[in-house]
Amino acid sequence: MNSKTSPDRVAADSAFQARARHLSPAQVLAKIPELAPGLGLFGVALFFSLETSNFWSPQTMTAISTVASTIGIVAVGVTMLMICGEFDLSVGQNFAFTPIVWAILFVTNGMNEWLALAIALGLAACVGGVNGLVTTAFGIPSFITTLGMFFVLQGLNNLLISGHQLIMFEPSSAMSLLGAQIGSTPFYMPLVWMFVIAAAFWLVLTRLRYGNWTFATGGKAGPAKAMGVPTARVKRINFILSSLFAGLAGCMQFAYLRGVTQAQGQNYELLAITAAVLGGTSLFGGTGTIWGSIIGAFLLSSIQIGLVLIGVPGSFYVTFIGIILVIVVIANVRLGRFGSH
Amino acid sequence: MSHLPLHVEAPAPVPEKTREIDRTGEPVFELRSVSHSYGRNRVIFDVSLAVWPGEVVGLVGDNGAGKSTLLKIFAGYLEPTSGTLRFMGRDARFRTPADARAMGIEAVYQDLAIVDQLSLWRNFFLGKEIVRSLGPLRILRRRQMRQEAAAAISQLGLTRVRSADQPVWTLSGGERQSVAITRAMHFGAKLLLLDEPTAALSVRETRNVLQSIGHARKQGLGVLYIDHNMSHVLPVADRIVLLELGRVVRVIDRGEVSVEQLQDLIAGPTQRAAGQ
Repeated sequence: MNSKTSPDRVAADSAFQARARHLSPAQVLAKIPELAPGLGLFGVALFFSLETSNFWSPQTMTAISTVASTIGIVAVGVTMLMICGEFDLSVGQNFAFTPIVWAILFVTNGMNEWLALAIALGLAACVGGVNGLVTTAFGIPSFITTLGMFFVLQGLNNLLISGHQLIMFEPSSAMSLLGAQIGSTPFYMPLVWMFVIAAAFWLVLTRLRYGNWTFATGGKAGPAKAMGVPTARVKRINFILSSLFAGLAGCMQFAYLRGVTQAQGQNYELLAITAAVLGGTSLFGGTGTIWGSIIGAFLLSSIQIGLVLIGVPGSFYVTFIGIILVIVVIANVRLGRFGSH
Repeated sequence: MSHLPLHVEAPAPVPEKTREIDRTGEPVFELRSVSHSYGRNRVIFDVSLAVWPGEVVGLVGDNGAGKSTLLKIFAGYLEPTSGTLRFMGRDARFRTPADARAMGIEAVYQDLAIVDQLSLWRNFFLGKEIVRSLGPLRILRRRQMRQEAAAAISQLGLTRVRSADQPVWTLSGGERQSVAITRAMHFGAKLLLLDEPTAALSVRETRNVLQSIGHARKQGLGVLYIDHNMSHVLPVADRIVLLELGRVVRVIDRGEVSVEQLQDLIAGPTQRAAGQ
């Protein structure tokens, strides 16, 4: 029933293409999910370029790109998880927990730094594994599972460094790999890693069977399961990815700043979800793109840094983020973009 | 209530609208004296039922007649308390729905067939993706799947389908049903289980779905079409099995009676129900 060159099919195909060319602006926005947040980012950059004299200065670029890359890496994992229909509120605490474990092992106790990093990231993965197992085995909302994990990790972080700061004055080779400056550019390694990870998971989502399964699991778990997709396993793997990337990004932040406190990563669980939503990922699962979330991360960091440049107190920026988030979600629902892939 | 023999030889066909079903071979699927109880509550009483290749069997009954229990037995969700299941001439036992699916029994449920956000081709191949292995990676053969899905779906003549990349939520309910039926055929199903596939569909959409069912029959699939309304089943069914309170009360062969007589028979149970 799939004759390769039946005239019917050729005719049908060309009819497909002919009709596909005429698209309204709303349809174009729906077809390229990254377009709307991309235009938003362009607008924000344009605004700050006109309002400030130093938006494109090397210092500003460093600040924006490092904030964006750590949030962006966390957002990649969070986006995968949101597409399959789950949340992870523990990523912010994991963002501190993993580098704290790493630093305690190799800075304080002199363990081989690579082994220490492997152990720390292994622990991060275990955190995700527990989140996933508890959520899928007991069928409770991941919102609750990971909120529980948030407090567990917060307590552990307090216990591990109780208000101190772990500092490494001489960056080790692992730290350089994760957080060093790239030559004499204003950019640092986390930016490179962000692009590598984002590109890899863009391919995973669009080109691999696993990506198909992730979309199907979040889109409608019932039919997906009926068609043979192992939905529980897909969710568990994405929980692990989310935790792993949060921990890895936390280690990069430590490597870049050469120090870590328990406050590191505060609010990151919400910022990562915000980046994903600004980038077009649905809160209900089934829809989303990796590059959209990366653009969302750049939007967040540009607004944060830009507002500082025009003299708004630094901690005030979240007010703007909150307002923009709500507006974007209203616009998405209005345009019916939640629900297309 | 009488138990009519189900495996009667098809009598001399009435001209027009009658199709010759070859019932000399083995049926695709057969229930032999199947009974089922939920605890002490017996819901299916000694039901025998067979679907031959290329045959559409309509299973009709009111709510509580036992249609969904039978459907669950067919689809492998339930193991009957007693009686035997035979698939393609062999005794069969389904412990899970996956067992039934592996044998080629595809259930197309109203809301359980399609993931709305996925594009047509991704839906079409969901769970049966064509992939190329690279180490642990399973890389989708996207072009091939697009083409095959487009080829299969374009035969349906669905007006709203423009491209295999289009998300399925842009299709109507009936078109989604048709896609699900086409998909089941494409992957070599032997028996289609349809649970009220035309409920809540417009007349035109219903025609689309019935057309897809016709396609499936021509390809030699057995079709079990379950509905509470006989008028839905009437246009496509070769035989109609009337179920009441867990028992088969009537088997109507399309060749046995005229359309008018069928209409009278449809009115029958309604009158009985009204008299209660």
